[in-house]
This record gives sequence, C-alpha cells and structure tokens, in this order.
Amino acid sequence: MSKQPTRANGASTKRLAEDGGASPLSKSLHGLSLQHASRPPAVADSSSDICPVCKSSRYLNPNMQFKVNPECYHKMCESCVDRIFSHGPAPCPIAGCARTLRKAKFRRQTFEDLKVEREVDIRRRVAGAMNKKEEDFETLMDYNDYLEQVEEITWNLILKVDVEATEGRLRRWEDHQKAELNPNARRREFDSSVPTDHVVLKKGATQRKTAAPASTPQTIANEMNEDIGFKFHGLKKRVAPPPEAPFDPFGGWSIAPQYYVLQDDYEVDWLTNQKNDVKHSVGGYDMRDFYNRSLREAFGGFGVFIEDEINARGTPSLDPHVGTKQAASVAVGARDVNMDDVF
Amino acid sequence: MASPVVLSPRPNPPGAKVDPVAARSKALAILASSNKATRSPAVAPAASTPKDGDLDLAEQMNDDVRRQFVSGKRLGEGTYAIVYAGHYRHNPDALVAIKKIKFNAEFKDGIAMDAIREIKFLSELTHPNIIKLHAVFSTKDQNLSLVLEHLPLGDLEGLWKNRKLTYSGADIKAWANMLCQAIWFCHENYVLHRDIKGNNLLIAADGTVKLADFGLARSFADPGRPMTSNVITRFYRPPELLYGCYHYGGAVDMWSVGCVIAELAIRNFFLASETDIGQLATICDHFGTPTEENWPSVSTLRYYVAPSQQPGIQKGSTAAKMGKPASWWRGTFPLLGEDGVDLIRGMLAMDPKKRLTAKQALEHRYWTALPRPTKKEKLPKDAGGEAKAAEDLKRKGGETPANGRADKVARKLDFASMG
Repeated sequence: MSKQPTRANGASTKRLAEDGGASPLSKSLHGLSLQHASRPPAVADSSSDICPVCKSSRYLNPNMQFKVNPECYHKMCESCVDRIFSHGPAPCPIAGCARTLRKAKFRRQTFEDLKVEREVDIRRRVAGAMNKKEEDFETLMDYNDYLEQVEEITWNLILKVDVEATEGRLRRWEDHQKAELNPNARRREFDSSVPTDHVVLKKGATQRKTAAPASTPQTIANEMNEDIGFKFHGLKKRVAPPPEAPFDPFGGWSIAPQYYVLQDDYEVDWLTNQKNDVKHSVGGYDMRDFYNRSLREAFGGFGVFIEDEINARGTPSLDPHVGTKQAASVAVGARDVNMDDVF
Repeated sequence: MASPVVLSPRPNPPGAKVDPVAARSKALAILASSNKATRSPAVAPAASTPKDGDLDLAEQMNDDVRRQFVSGKRLGEGTYAIVYAGHYRHNPDALVAIKKIKFNAEFKDGIAMDAIREIKFLSELTHPNIIKLHAVFSTKDQNLSLVLEHLPLGDLEGLWKNRKLTYSGADIKAWANMLCQAIWFCHENYVLHRDIKGNNLLIAADGTVKLADFGLARSFADPGRPMTSNVITRFYRPPELLYGCYHYGGAVDMWSVGCVIAELAIRNFFLASETDIGQLATICDHFGTPTEENWPSVSTLRYYVAPSQQPGIQKGSTAAKMGKPASWWRGTFPLLGEDGVDLIRGMLAMDPKKRLTAKQALEHRYWTALPRPTKKEKLPKDAGGEAKAAEDLKRKGGETPANGRADKVARKLDFASMG
C-alpha cells in the first residue's frame, strides 16, 4: 500500500484530536502545551524515514521499522533498540531526554501522530482505573460530576500538570478498588508481615515486644482513615455478592422413609436360607435393600390421590431452560441477534 | 380434600416448597400416557364405547398422544431404532427427540425387551439427571415411539474424545456429581441401570448430564432370584459379573461409575480389553488378584480360578498380583486430586461389599473439597452435538458404536437367563 492514504488518515486524526477536544479550555491548553506542536508536518514526513539515532534511512534499509517507548515517545529504528537496550535498561539516546528505557516496553506506534498515541495511552490507563458506571451513582448529576473529574485527571496527565500528585492519587484509588473487589488479597498482604516479625523474634524477644504493639495500632489507624485518592459524591458503596452456599452433592434431593422405620434385620423363616447363602453375599447382594424395597412398596400408595392426578393430566411440563429451541440454539452457539447491524 | 405435604416413598425434589401435587401429577401424566400407548388394540377394555368408526378407546387415546407431537428431520438410524427430531404441536419451541423402535423380527409377538425396560423405568424415574420420557405412542404399523428429552450436546465420551476441548478437575467433579446423583436416584428407587458408560450419559442444552438408555435396566431382584451376569459393556463390567455372579446389587453400577470418572480424568478408556478373560486380567493388573483374604468366599463364584490353579503357572507358586501402588494412582489421575483418587478407588473396590454405595459416594469429602464443581452454565460443551446424541439413542442396550476401538465389545444379550 502506498503511504499517501495513511498520511491523510493521520492528519485527519490529528485535526480531530485538536478540534474535537472536551471543552474550549482544554482545547486551548492542548494547543499551548504540546511540545512539538510547532514542528511543521512536512519536515516530520521527510525525517520519518531516517532514524534519529543512527541516521540510517529507509532508502538504504527498506525493512527498517520504527519503535517508540511509552516512557518518552521518542522514535528510533528497531536495530537501534536492539543495539542499545539488549543488555538491560539504558538511557534514551535522544539528546536532552535521558530517561531510562527498557527494551520490553518498546512497541510499534499505532497512530501516526505521537501526541495522539500518548493521549490514547493515558486515556486507556485512566479509563482502566476509573471504571464506574451510571448505576454505581445515586443520581445522574453525581455521575456527570464524576465524569468531569475523570476528564480533569486525564487532562492533568496529558498536559503534565501535577503529574506526581495525580499519579499517586490514581494509584491509591486503584489499590483501593482492588482491595474492595478482593478482600482476601488484602488480608494475605497483612499476614505477610508476620514472618518479618518472626525474624526479629529470633534476634531478641525484647525487640519484638517493642515492635509488635507499635505496628498493629498504626496499621489499623491507616485502614480507618486511609486516603483512597479520590472521593466521589453519591457513589454507592459496593455490595459484595452474597457468599455461595456450600455445594450439595445430592442436588437438594432427599429420600427418607416417613411411614415406617427400617430395621437392620428381620427374622423371617422363608428368608433365612438366602440370608446365610454365600452366593448372595459374595456378589454384593444386600438383604437390607430387599427389606427397604418391600416396605417402600407396601407403603408406597400412602399420600397418592388419583383425583389430583387426573386433574393435572394433559398439561405437558417442560423446563424452559432445557428442552426448548432457544436453549438449544444458545447451546450450539447460534446467534439469534445480529449484533453487527448498527442500523 | 387434604393435600399431603410430603409423601413418604417419593423423593423430595430440591426446594421443598414445590407444589407436591403438581410434581406428583407430572410423573403420573407420563405414566398415564405411556400406559395408553403400550396397551395394544387387541386388549382393549370391553367397556370401551366406540365413538368414531372402528377406533376403540385405546386407539383413540393413543392417537391423542400421537397428535401432540410433530416429528421432524431424521437424526440417525440404527438396526434397532430411528431417532427423529421433533416438537410439541402446541408449542414448536418445545423440542423433543422421538425414538421410533423398529419392528423387530425376533419379537414377533410383542415389544422388544429393551423397549419395555426403557419405558417401564423411565416413566418411574423423574430426576434432573435422568433422561425424561415425555410420552409413548404407537403408529399404525405397530411401531413403538418413545418421546424423549431433547439433548443436543452429545455425550460424556464425546467430551473426553474431543481433543480440541480442555477441561479442569472442577469440570470433572461437576460431571461426576451429576452422574452419581442419577445413579443414587436409580438405586434409591431400586433400579439397576446395568449399562453405565460415557456413551449413555447425554448432555442437555444447559450442560446437565443425563443418564439415558435404560434398555438393560431392571429392578433389584428378590432374594433367591438369579439375574444374568451378562450385562454391562465389557470395559465397565465389575469383577463379580466377570466371575459369573447371579446375585448382585447396586455395587455393579458403582464400578461402572468409577470407570467413567477415571475415563474423564485420563481422557482414554480406563480398563479396556478385547475379551472377558483379558478384562479380568486388566482388572487384576490394576487392583491385584482377588483371593479369599481380600474378598471372602470369592472362590464360590462360577468362573473364579485361584491363582495357584491357573494354567501356565508353576505348581506351588502363588501368582497373585499386587495391584498398582498409591503413587501410581496419584500420578495417573492428577486431575482428580487425593480425594478424587480416594473416591474412585472406593468405587473400584474388588469386593462389592467393600465398594462405596451410591449414597456413600455422594457423602464423600471429594465433592465438598476444593475446587468447587463448575457451575452447569460454565461447563465446556462440545461433545459431538445432536447427531452424536441420536447415535447413542438409536442403539440397543449393550451395543457400542460400530467404529473405533470398542468394535468388538458388542455383546449378545441372553434374555432367556434374565430374571
């Protein structure tokens, strides 16, 4: 494919990002702060085929591929990445950057414009942490406030305003969310402090005595008024799903005699032969099965009323989840709703 | 009239609040319809008043049942039966499978034994893990049709044979539990299934395992009445039947259940052999030779030969095999875990008196230990589909599919000796 259409696409994406920003304020901020905004696109196009690090060009090496690291979004060719970062983390070779980069983080860029690339990455990260839905809030107003706050965080990160503080808050929020979803993981973490105490104990009991009471109230206090990064008005408290009932191997069924009591043995003349017959016992034939069955058959008619049954006759019963066409089609994997059709 | 809350002999289905009247009448409605159908026109009651034309009451009732169903495309045909897809006439979404039993030259004067057994026991047993018999009717050419539950997802054997499918220990536990529940319910109602194998465990649309093919089933025998020992497909046949035992109980089914669970865990046939003698040898390889010490009075069984008397063994040497060590069991069934191995070893005890009963098996700690059995809706499902289920339904009890390893396992049924 020729390069022309991709370039056109990239240009349009950029324009969209610039024009379609969230608010007039953010739009102006966006224009102000982006560092490479002044660079004319024509220059970027011609230089895009020359690696800024080793200066080799696509003309000499048609297989050349560029990669970026989301740490600083500086572009370099694949062979440079291999050369510089194969032996572990190293500083970025672009002059004036000097951030420590790792080879594993390098990837091919998705968007022509690296600003867009960066913004998309940031938005993805924020959206991952801030994943509340409208149902999670008391009112629509609260939800909208929340959305605005999320947008503010996103723009802070994009425009590099208060990055440290925002990142810290975001991380605390993420931890809090994780802890809420999985309380057991939290508890495990708490327990992990025990072995370290144990090591101290080996050194001397006195040391541990002083250490232990000091640490426990502190952690409790921490949990009490812990800073969770953000506070949203009207956010409903997450209700943990009720714990599952223990598994019942019998599936809820029970069979117990009600009208008779079964004895272990019955003294009947005509059964003594079989009772003492080895041929019966060796194959696992159990006389108790016979006793139980005889009794059940004898009392089986109790509580059965023919009248009821005649009334209920002729209404075929069917479990809607099993024997129906819908269940079958779901099971076989047929799609009954065409999700592709937007209109 | 006063309605009884709980009926003594009947099981209490899950959720005791279920209207007992409705549940009861459901079972009876099936019974009634099957009674109508099995009654042949020749034995119509004398009191019947012919209403239209020559049709007597029995024929009318049969027609009423038949008209409830619409039979659709043919899913499969065997020597014994043809299976059609079908649905209720009043509701085309209510699917059923119609198993039409072919007119059999061997049974000129009546209905084939398998069909009788199947109708008799399926109409008595109503449990979520046992295939449901909706109705029975006959057609003009005296063919008998069984309207069975629609189970579109194949069978348990298809599951482990499908190499594209992966499943975990929790999935095995869920399937095994459904199987054990079905067997427990049969035994609580004094029905011996006598043909449990992966092929006869069909899977419903929602993933439930359902025990099917009651063609060899019978109720527990009275004391002194012999039963045939020539039942259960060979791979799943317990040692007492191989030794020709006439009096046995639910333990024979439990052996088969153990085999099926082991099969699921190793994704292969567990105890497979070409001949009955070979089957015994395979069993002894795994569990050790039965002797008077570990199975009291085993020598009274018809075909038992003590190790010292076996041909080809030097006089005086005892050829008793030791069986596999515990480490072998743990190593072979990693998917089952310690508890699972303990359970199947309990089900696969040589001495039927020491074997776990269905109830004991369900009380085993394996079910409540971690991992918890997978929920039905999350079970992997791809076991061959509708065609495979039809393949299973059209078979006669004891037959195996005619391709693959189990070809020669098919066994002749000896109805004369059946009690």
